[in-house]
Amino acid sequence: MNQPVTGAQPARLHDRYPDLGRGPLPVAPYIDPAYWELEKAHVFKKTWLHVGRVEEIPTAGDYFVKDLAACDASIIVVRTRSGAVKAFHNVCSHRLNKVVYEPCGKVRKFFCKFHGWAYDLDGRLTGVPDEAAFEADFDKETHGLTPVSCDVWQGFVFINMDPAPALSLADFMAPMFGGLEGYPFHMFTACYGWSTVVNCNWKMVLDAFQETYHVGYVHGRSIADALEKTDTGSPHPIDGLCGDFHRRLSIAGNPKSVYGNPKAATTGASAAAEALAGSNRPIATAALRLAQGGTKLSFDEVRLPDGLNWTRHPNWAFDINCVFPEFYLSTRPNYFQAYNFRPISHDKTLFEARVYYPEMKTAGGRFYQEYMKVALRDVLLEDLSTLEHTQAAAATGAKDHMVLQDFEIMVRHGAVVVDRLIRAGLEADRARA
Amino acid sequence: MTPSPAVLPAAFADLAPFTAWALPTETARNRRRLASDMGEIRAFAEAMLPRLDAIAAHLDGFDLDALPKPEADLFAMMLSVAEIAPAIESYDQPAVCDGYDSARFPAVESHRLRPAF
Ligand code: FES
Ligand SMILES: [Fe+2]
Repeated sequence: MNQPVTGAQPARLHDRYPDLGRGPLPVAPYIDPAYWELEKAHVFKKTWLHVGRVEEIPTAGDYFVKDLAACDASIIVVRTRSGAVKAFHNVCSHRLNKVVYEPCGKVRKFFCKFHGWAYDLDGRLTGVPDEAAFEADFDKETHGLTPVSCDVWQGFVFINMDPAPALSLADFMAPMFGGLEGYPFHMFTACYGWSTVVNCNWKMVLDAFQETYHVGYVHGRSIADALEKTDTGSPHPIDGLCGDFHRRLSIAGNPKSVYGNPKAATTGASAAAEALAGSNRPIATAALRLAQGGTKLSFDEVRLPDGLNWTRHPNWAFDINCVFPEFYLSTRPNYFQAYNFRPISHDKTLFEARVYYPEMKTAGGRFYQEYMKVALRDVLLEDLSTLEHTQAAAATGAKDHMVLQDFEIMVRHGAVVVDRLIRAGLEADRARA
Repeated sequence: MTPSPAVLPAAFADLAPFTAWALPTETARNRRRLASDMGEIRAFAEAMLPRLDAIAAHLDGFDLDALPKPEADLFAMMLSVAEIAPAIESYDQPAVCDGYDSARFPAVESHRLRPAF
């Protein structure tokens, strides 16, 4: 089910994945606080969640903290002296203060500000002021920070609230994303980000990013012309893959656009000239012209893995990789985007958007990057524009189902997987009781 | 934002009327875009567009990580041109049409991997 498929394919994605069903999709999971509680218990506290990249904590003592409402947790992720990446609950073993208050930093040890207990980078309790005043059998060894399952895939740090995860991170990722391994994530080290708390269910937010049906409308003024259109005038994805957890979409670009022609930035003048033929965008034209030769890394040395553009489409622009449950990773030849849609409640989501470009060595290269980054930010402002209206409308209860077309199958797949895990979790709870 | 009034490198003194756009952060540049009208935005773009190649060539004579103040201001003005591009090329108004409030979607200026400029 989750292997890349080759050869003749059914014209409709829904024919390829009959198990997902075809009917209208229930609205309740998007508006019901009780469903959100089930998601927390049976999805978010049981699965791998992306929290950041290893480059954010390059050396011993570098740490960041992630507050994960869906897990009722605050997690410290730290680089240890041995170079490992470890995660701990941000909760002191004494009287439960937060061990760190700052969102990121560098420490030699973690010192609790309440009564001064000290923990080393491996979470061991190493210092207790006035230790003799505790009971005689008090043993520091048994009062370290509570560890959280933590592992790294291609430089992305994941945590799992389950102390003994049912699947290792490698086994979780491999069936759908094995072919992405080797993508030069580590070479794209110029990162820009934005964040917002949007009053909308996390699935509703993610769904707005896993279909191209909206592009002609929401992005009609900005990037709609950057995607390849089919004869119906709508930008269909090249292909889509649905797995046990994850899903992927492959997207074709319009080579006659700056945003839809990745070659314009990587292979130089001729692609750039094609991208701009007939352009009425003078600043875009200047940005592409000035970008040539601007990157520190040479794209001749970048080997892209075979799992990218799996259909080998000549006008391929990017792949959307939805890592279950809420991590969106868009991979392009010359940069990638990493978005998290972190649920806060049934109708509130922390949207953390990051884009990772190659570092630039020239002013012209940096200007081009600023052009691309600002364009992306404004496109995201378009994507965000519908969400709170949609949530408010959904919450009226006027409709109890929504209707999907074939290329919105990823919306269906996400909902079906969440529902399957909740059912399995409830089943397991009943069996245990 | 800019502590003292910007003095541009001599070769770019003609751009002096636009030094209010010499803003060092994305947040400040975006705020100025949204506080401007399209007349101001277009006048700035028209003044800058014919000079961009010369500005880039001039700046590449310096270490981009340690630009003297006049060059840093010039660089910031160049990045402001990128900031106003969507207003001119997509929206024909300063803000994203029907867009989410950009003040609610702030740039994370402190990210460890964010380029200094
Ligand atoms: S709560 Fe941390 S030292 Fe007391
Ligand atoms: Fe979109």
